Amino acid sequence: MMTQYGLLIDYEYCTNCGSCQVTCQEEHDYSASETGIKVLVDGPWKTREGHWNFNNWPVVTDLCDLCAARTAKGKEPMCVHHCLANIITYGPVEDLAIKLSTKTKQFLVVPQYDPIAARGPFVSKNKGAHKAAHIEVQGTGKANYAVHRHDTKVDEISVEDVDATEN
Amino acid sequence: MSEDDFFKKASVVKLDTLSDVNDIGKPWRYEEDGMTVTRTSPWSPPGCHPVGCGLKLYVDAEGRLERVEGDENNPVTQGRLCPRCIALKDYIYNPARLLHPMKRDPKDRGNADAWETITWDEAFDIIKAEYDRITAQYGRESIVVFAGTGREGGTFFPFGSMCFGTPNFCYTQSGYACYTPRLAAIAYIGGTTYPEWDYAGALPGRWDDPRYDLTEVLLIWGKAPLESSPDGFFGHAVIDAMRRGTRLIVIDPRVTWLSSRADIFLQLRAGTDTALGMAMLDIIISEDLYDHDFVSYWCYGFDELAERCSTMPPEKAATICDVPVEDIYAAARMYAAGNPAAIQWGLSADQKTNGMQHAQVIVSLMAITGNLDAPGGQLLPNSSAGHNEVGFGFDKGVGDDLLAKMVGLDQYPAYCMVILNAQADLMLKALETGEPYPIKMGFYAGNNLMSCTSMEPERWHDAIVKSLEFCIGFDTFMNPSIEASCDIFLPLKTVAERDGTVFTHYAPCTVTAGFMHEAITVGDCKTDYELCYELGRHLRPELWDKEFNFRSAKEFMEALRLGKREEGRYFDKVAENVVCQIPIEYYKYEKGLMREDGTPGFATPTGRIELWSTAFHGFGEDPLPYYEEPQFGPADPELMEEYPLILTTGARTTAFFHSEHRQVPRLRALNPDPITEINPVTAQKYGIADGQWVRLSSPFGECVQKARVSEIVDEKTVHAQHAWWFPEEEGSEPNLYGNFRSNINNLLPNFHFGKLGFGAPNKCFVCKIEPIEESYDTDMTEVWDKFGKLV
Repeated sequence: MMTQYGLLIDYEYCTNCGSCQVTCQEEHDYSASETGIKVLVDGPWKTREGHWNFNNWPVVTDLCDLCAARTAKGKEPMCVHHCLANIITYGPVEDLAIKLSTKTKQFLVVPQYDPIAARGPFVSKNKGAHKAAHIEVQGTGKANYAVHRHDTKVDEISVEDVDATEN
Repeated sequence: MSEDDFFKKASVVKLDTLSDVNDIGKPWRYEEDGMTVTRTSPWSPPGCHPVGCGLKLYVDAEGRLERVEGDENNPVTQGRLCPRCIALKDYIYNPARLLHPMKRDPKDRGNADAWETITWDEAFDIIKAEYDRITAQYGRESIVVFAGTGREGGTFFPFGSMCFGTPNFCYTQSGYACYTPRLAAIAYIGGTTYPEWDYAGALPGRWDDPRYDLTEVLLIWGKAPLESSPDGFFGHAVIDAMRRGTRLIVIDPRVTWLSSRADIFLQLRAGTDTALGMAMLDIIISEDLYDHDFVSYWCYGFDELAERCSTMPPEKAATICDVPVEDIYAAARMYAAGNPAAIQWGLSADQKTNGMQHAQVIVSLMAITGNLDAPGGQLLPNSSAGHNEVGFGFDKGVGDDLLAKMVGLDQYPAYCMVILNAQADLMLKALETGEPYPIKMGFYAGNNLMSCTSMEPERWHDAIVKSLEFCIGFDTFMNPSIEASCDIFLPLKTVAERDGTVFTHYAPCTVTAGFMHEAITVGDCKTDYELCYELGRHLRPELWDKEFNFRSAKEFMEALRLGKREEGRYFDKVAENVVCQIPIEYYKYEKGLMREDGTPGFATPTGRIELWSTAFHGFGEDPLPYYEEPQFGPADPELMEEYPLILTTGARTTAFFHSEHRQVPRLRALNPDPITEINPVTAQKYGIADGQWVRLSSPFGECVQKARVSEIVDEKTVHAQHAWWFPEEEGSEPNLYGNFRSNINNLLPNFHFGKLGFGAPNKCFVCKIEPIEESYDTDMTEVWDKFGKLV
């Protein structure tokens, strides 16, 4: 199986400086309204212990390709390179998972670039094992209202009547 | 020490997150994939104080800058970059950037469509004719050079002295309420310049260097170092230290992100810092937590300080500052217990009327705990690192007689002499009244004062437009100040188009020296030193060609920054290092390195740190710290009835350097609108919804900003962003790029400085706030359409 790569993010020290977003836009020539990574802010609000909860969360978007052109050359993604607080680590998920277990206030993320396109065009996987049989059938000559009803009030539809209303 | 040892290539400490495929060890210029890569260490423009981060500029075969990357070879930044350098291409090739000289008939001032492109020769001839006419009639003192902040061409440059020969170099912020009050305080108390926190920036092994002791306690006082990184100190060094175990105390009216990571956070009422500092001194002294040896051998006036601080017991300070008294005790004890401990002191010390006393208590805290010039404490500069050598204040080319005419010198020598600058408020008065003499010609050196550095900006606008017969703007983009008042525009090169030097922290106690390398040419622009040299020779050939005698513009820069005259050869040699760590010594006062005479001690009248300041006493100021209530605040209940909220302004953002960068869409997207922070309880009281536009007003004026409802401020306080204008809007008067609509300086006064001429209440004022129906939300599509397509 192909090695899965991801980003380990130490959100304890994310300062919301904006470098990850701007460098992502520059690297991929995204406009000011598109990005592969951005920072969401939770806080400040005071906890019951009187401590200020104030955490910044760098989140990857559907435009993050982990800087495929750079990582192909063995370099790290641009957000890793430029992060002022140096909180983003790129690597194989197995290695990052070990690092994840050594410190609190981190998370590991494996982005998917353009997830709809990544699925590929729709191709049915079911080949249709059953082949339609050639069997002669006879008509009933009548139509029914709501066949799932079991009461006795169900009337049959007169075939002539139906034809009459259509005409 | 030989010069080669002084400018030695910095050691590299690789970041763990950096891949094994990297550019560590690469020369200053190299080829890669058909591109030429130039390593450089930028200063300005775009605006930045000298931090000297490492940059790699990738230029294609056609000479176009294709990409910008952080240089892993810088010992402090290690490849990391802030958004403004990351977006450098969008600044350099921005469709709104101006690349040629222009002229405009003075009758058409304020008309954005009346500019006409001209050659440099024509521009120089027009300037020469006006210079000769005005100086013949009014004298050279009638010229004012408006300095901005940070950029090399502003505060740091001899445009005023060597080029124009005027004593009136002027940073126009009331009371010079930015950095210089702190500088003056340490100069007058300790005979030295700004003591920066020692973050091992100068040591080859950085944090793990054997000479370094990790700072145990870092007290961050009225400063947001992460966002204020372009103010000269690489802010994220704080994060590097925290991850190694440094613990924080934060003192700030706002719940900054760092305060949420602090052991102790004192959310004080804006402007009351001096009371807090006196109480902390009182605790440290009365609980015997100070460094007895340092106090007895190296301090002067300790008993007097102790007695004065005893008048501010912690319980009294707690009431004044509106913080729990137990937190004051805890903070004082934790700071005193830190070994070493350091203080990062910010703009809040400058931006209050009694800011000198705030600075005084901070220096006293550093001193009596023995942290001055200790590893991991406060790094001090050596005796050769004065400001005058590197650009803060030049008298060369002015002459003693004219220097004596500097506006404000007779009344505020403590201000004017420390930085050789005309007193800002009195310059406003001179422009308005012609007293003590008329001001007739102006030059903007890296400055957009009507958007950023001037209080009551319409008053400055009117005074400048009325008083100046001729005015020149020198910048990268058009801005409201130049649009309103200039007759000549000259285009300025950016960091990618120039060579030069950068010394961190404004050069005192510098830790790295960096060198800029020219990588590209864009348009027909000049650097600050090229313009100063060429225009200086054009205006004053007798002085430049007979007395100064530089053989080239590059030699002028070399002489100015490196003290050499080798036609640029010395510069070229050392510049190949791109970044050097400056050799430092600790405990310099014991070794005779703090004084010109080479003997131990500090360069003060008593040779010690003067807790009782002889200099203050000489200037007629109280020699000891004292607390004074903010003039505009709860001390005036009648005023508070109409303006019930405390206004603090000017916290930095990472998107912009002051009034710059509004036309770079990817940066603007980080902060599209001018933001006022207001507490949810207060917002509810006034009927303000999150994201709604509000009108802020004070006795001096009003503006509109967009409300961010957040507990980042408490119920009594609002914080408003500064330096807003809108380059996407109509530039002609009266709109002037919307300059006066969201300008928080409309609310702030001139002429409310302290006894020595320093300080202004920008961070401790009052206002009222009301919701408005209109929305002025920035249309980011318009910003992208106007400025996103590079040329």
